[in-house]
Amino acid sequence: MRTVLFASLRTYARRYAAAVVAVIAAVALIVVTNALTSATKSGLFAGIDAPFRNAVGAVDLPSDEITDKYVEKGGWALALSMQPVRTDETMLGQDIMVGAVSTEKRWQWQDLEEGRFPTRAGEAVVDANAAKTNKIAIGDTLKVGSGTTAVETTVVGLVDAPSMWSSPIYVTWPEMQGWGDQYVQAVMTAGAGAEADNWLNADDYLTELQTQLNKEVNVVAYMVLIFAFIALFVSVLVITNTFSILFAQRMRDFALLRAMGATKRQVLRSVRREALALGVIASLLGLVVGVLLGWGIVALVRQLAETAPLGAVAFEWPWLVGAFVLGVLTTLVASWLPTRRLMRLSPLAALRPQEGFDVRGAGMFRIGLGLVVALAGIATIFVAVGWDDAQTGMLIVLLGCGVTFIGVMLLGPALVPGLVRLAGSALAVVAGSPAKLAAANAGRNPKRTAATAASLLVGVTLTTGVLTGMATIRGATLDEMAKQHPIDIALQAESKPLPDSVAGDAKAVPGVADAVAVPGAMASVRTDGKPVPLPVVAPPGGDIALEDLSVKPGTMVISPAAASAFVEDEFEATGEKVELVVGDRTATVTLDVREIDGAPQISAATLRTLTEDPQTYAVWVRADAGADPEDLAGALGVLAPDAELTNGKGQRAWVELQLDVFTWAVIGLLAISVLIALAGIANTLGLSVLERGREHALLRALGLTRRQLRRTLAAEAVLLSAVAALVGTALGVFFAWGGSEILVGDMLPDATFELPVLQLVAVVVAAGLAGLVSCVAPSKRATKVSPAEGLALD
Amino acid sequence: MTQTSVPTMTAAARAVGLTKTYGKGATEVHALRGVDLEIRSGAFTAIMGPSGSGKSTLMHCLAGLDRPTTGEVTVAGQPLQNLNDDQLTIFRRENIGFVFQAFNLLPMLTAGQNIQLPLELAGRRVTDETRARAQMIADTLGIGQRLGHKPSELSGGQQQRVAIARALVTQPAILFADEPTGNLDSETSAEVLDHLRRSVRELGQTVVMVTHEASAAAYADEIVTVKDGTLEIRQSEGVTR
Repeated sequence: MRTVLFASLRTYARRYAAAVVAVIAAVALIVVTNALTSATKSGLFAGIDAPFRNAVGAVDLPSDEITDKYVEKGGWALALSMQPVRTDETMLGQDIMVGAVSTEKRWQWQDLEEGRFPTRAGEAVVDANAAKTNKIAIGDTLKVGSGTTAVETTVVGLVDAPSMWSSPIYVTWPEMQGWGDQYVQAVMTAGAGAEADNWLNADDYLTELQTQLNKEVNVVAYMVLIFAFIALFVSVLVITNTFSILFAQRMRDFALLRAMGATKRQVLRSVRREALALGVIASLLGLVVGVLLGWGIVALVRQLAETAPLGAVAFEWPWLVGAFVLGVLTTLVASWLPTRRLMRLSPLAALRPQEGFDVRGAGMFRIGLGLVVALAGIATIFVAVGWDDAQTGMLIVLLGCGVTFIGVMLLGPALVPGLVRLAGSALAVVAGSPAKLAAANAGRNPKRTAATAASLLVGVTLTTGVLTGMATIRGATLDEMAKQHPIDIALQAESKPLPDSVAGDAKAVPGVADAVAVPGAMASVRTDGKPVPLPVVAPPGGDIALEDLSVKPGTMVISPAAASAFVEDEFEATGEKVELVVGDRTATVTLDVREIDGAPQISAATLRTLTEDPQTYAVWVRADAGADPEDLAGALGVLAPDAELTNGKGQRAWVELQLDVFTWAVIGLLAISVLIALAGIANTLGLSVLERGREHALLRALGLTRRQLRRTLAAEAVLLSAVAALVGTALGVFFAWGGSEILVGDMLPDATFELPVLQLVAVVVAAGLAGLVSCVAPSKRATKVSPAEGLALD
Repeated sequence: MTQTSVPTMTAAARAVGLTKTYGKGATEVHALRGVDLEIRSGAFTAIMGPSGSGKSTLMHCLAGLDRPTTGEVTVAGQPLQNLNDDQLTIFRRENIGFVFQAFNLLPMLTAGQNIQLPLELAGRRVTDETRARAQMIADTLGIGQRLGHKPSELSGGQQQRVAIARALVTQPAILFADEPTGNLDSETSAEVLDHLRRSVRELGQTVVMVTHEASAAAYADEIVTVKDGTLEIRQSEGVTR
């Protein structure tokens, strides 16, 4: 039987193309994931111990008191703060990460490239790369922070730092204190004073930190692995289908073997070994492709983004072995069902004329079961939508989605050919008889058609589900962002009014649609103790902001941060009354505490009672839709260097970008499964073409031109992929509806279900086009055969 | 071999100096070695010969399914060597009908759809007239009641009659039948051959049948025998059946 095995592999190697491609893609995805995570880890961990070189111990995420205590005792904090940074002329950025640098030699862990370390407050070091891109040199003066807490500092040195702790600029510790928003990752201690509960010695701390980071990177890796498993699942469908078709075509060979005296077991074993050989070869190829791709991608990313924290790629044995084993297992599992069918083969089958293949559709049992399962799944989703607890509800929805999908797959042999026929008769109106023939062809082997469609169905359902779900989340999130940051860009005076020229100058900045001077006054809040100074503004009406911000007379809208200066509990302060004082005038206002940008807002009437002569305390800017928020902020910030700049448009754009990046990353990973499915469609079509050689010859003899034959095959591929795409879209949208109903009810109360119609249409059209591409090779093969040759085919 | 006695006007097809060579060098096979032939219009011609004699190749060349290595074929006044693949396909569609030994029908279409197929391929609208004609032919062939069935639900004889109906529906200049009774028992064979004959007699159809069975050839007006790539005998006999 070994002769038979090798001969079969040689003869049918090309027909296994899709199966091999599917396994390669899934295995390679796992290996590439390992390449990226290992490069990320080695990048993150490189030099992670640098700040701790002279530390005896460290406390993770210390409280302010603990930080102060240890710093006083000669320790050092690994602190960060996000601040605007500008030179005399330009704004370098609104939210730049600012680190701390020590004036003491033992905590100067950065590598000095040029110049020296600071010796006193008012001196800073800058990351060498950041200095180069922002054209900053030693001796330049930078202004870090805004308003009263801003510090001026002189660059005295350029440094390099390990990516884990790197920031573009480092100022001295005392200067950071005024900002009040610094984030302290750890405080390092000079001695072994284990006074804080979670004090660890330096080595233990580093081990702990690495374990933690490892976990975080691994979480991302496991997320990517989900997509690898989806790809493997699609591979199973594609491979099962390939084997089914191939074995159907080789039925007579197998029967002949049986007639010549091969036992059932021998035939079965030979076929199973064929599958094993295929799995091993494809998985090995997958490893090779994955390793090369992994190296390539990491090298490319490092080339494109020098600051990306990617280190050397180090493949780990468990990953490689795991990927290989999964690839082989997938192939074996996928070949199990088709090979079992061989057991029923009688030797007589060889002697019978070729009577077509297993063309039975779904039995009544399968249809019934499919209906029951699908309905159960749908019912589960409806039940889950009404669930009180969102988390449990979400799990039930997921379960319902899975069950519904299995039901639809079971119904496939009845559902898909029917839909293809329907779509075919619609297409026949424009495309004529090729479309009719194609629809008939697609319906002739319902199980094969359904299995081919199913592989594409998986990818399309997930893609459209993610697109629809994300559209809803995106809509709700952006609405929320627009409510929180309704002003594109605001310049807010902190202690003294803005010059009257600012609004006019702002209007002249390119990208500014409108700029309005907002009247206000420097008020103070009367308290039991010292009055608290508080600049207030009276928002103008009109369309300067995304929503009308005018305040009811007698009310003051104030952010919790501002309110905390004079109320006991800022989150419970809504409804409290306070007295505002300007000079000798007073006004009592009711507090309305919520997240707003900028100074507290009062009504124009309230402002009039406080002062006869309001001055410009803010300038609000509405930007052109296409303007770049960062550029705009840079240009506007220079107009009023002392004002605090709030970039609402920038924040909205950033959130939008995060949502887009997430959506497209998921779609990109799902695309791998879709591509595998398309390889499957091409393969099914290619194998069907081999099977139908005589029919095609007959059609050609009867007067079907080459082009019509090509069109027939194209129509078959397009019908199949379009129907799979449509069913997948329907399922995906339904699943996303279930998911978002729960979100709407709980986490995002203002969300409304949104249908990204254009994107969904694009998915269906793309699937149809991809189907068209997948039929190119098979139809080329089919039309190459002349009618006379084809008629001689067996 | 000369056929000066046969007027050109009545020739449905003519081949001059046909050769067909497969392969090159040592594996070269001469399927046809210089064949001249005229097919009389409105007659039932049988091409006979043992297997491997080149009779199928001859038919393929006459029917425009294959191109001869050298020589010329004219069918219904149209020289075929000047036509490209598409033109040839359309010419076949309009002028030639086929009945093959097996795999004659498309398994996914019903008998009726199979019969209408050549009209559809030509993009002709299925009108009441064409439908009536298809029905008439089907009735004549005794399959009028079976048009809604798939080929797998028909007997071998019925399948061949559907194939004949399909070949006749376009009113082709020539109908080629390649071993049409090869898969049938003798009784059914007789029926099918009878139908072919009737189409010649009653509809004036030109029929060329390739067969290796003398009993089948006996139904023909003229018998051409091919041996080793040449026409060995050309024998006309009046068939009185």
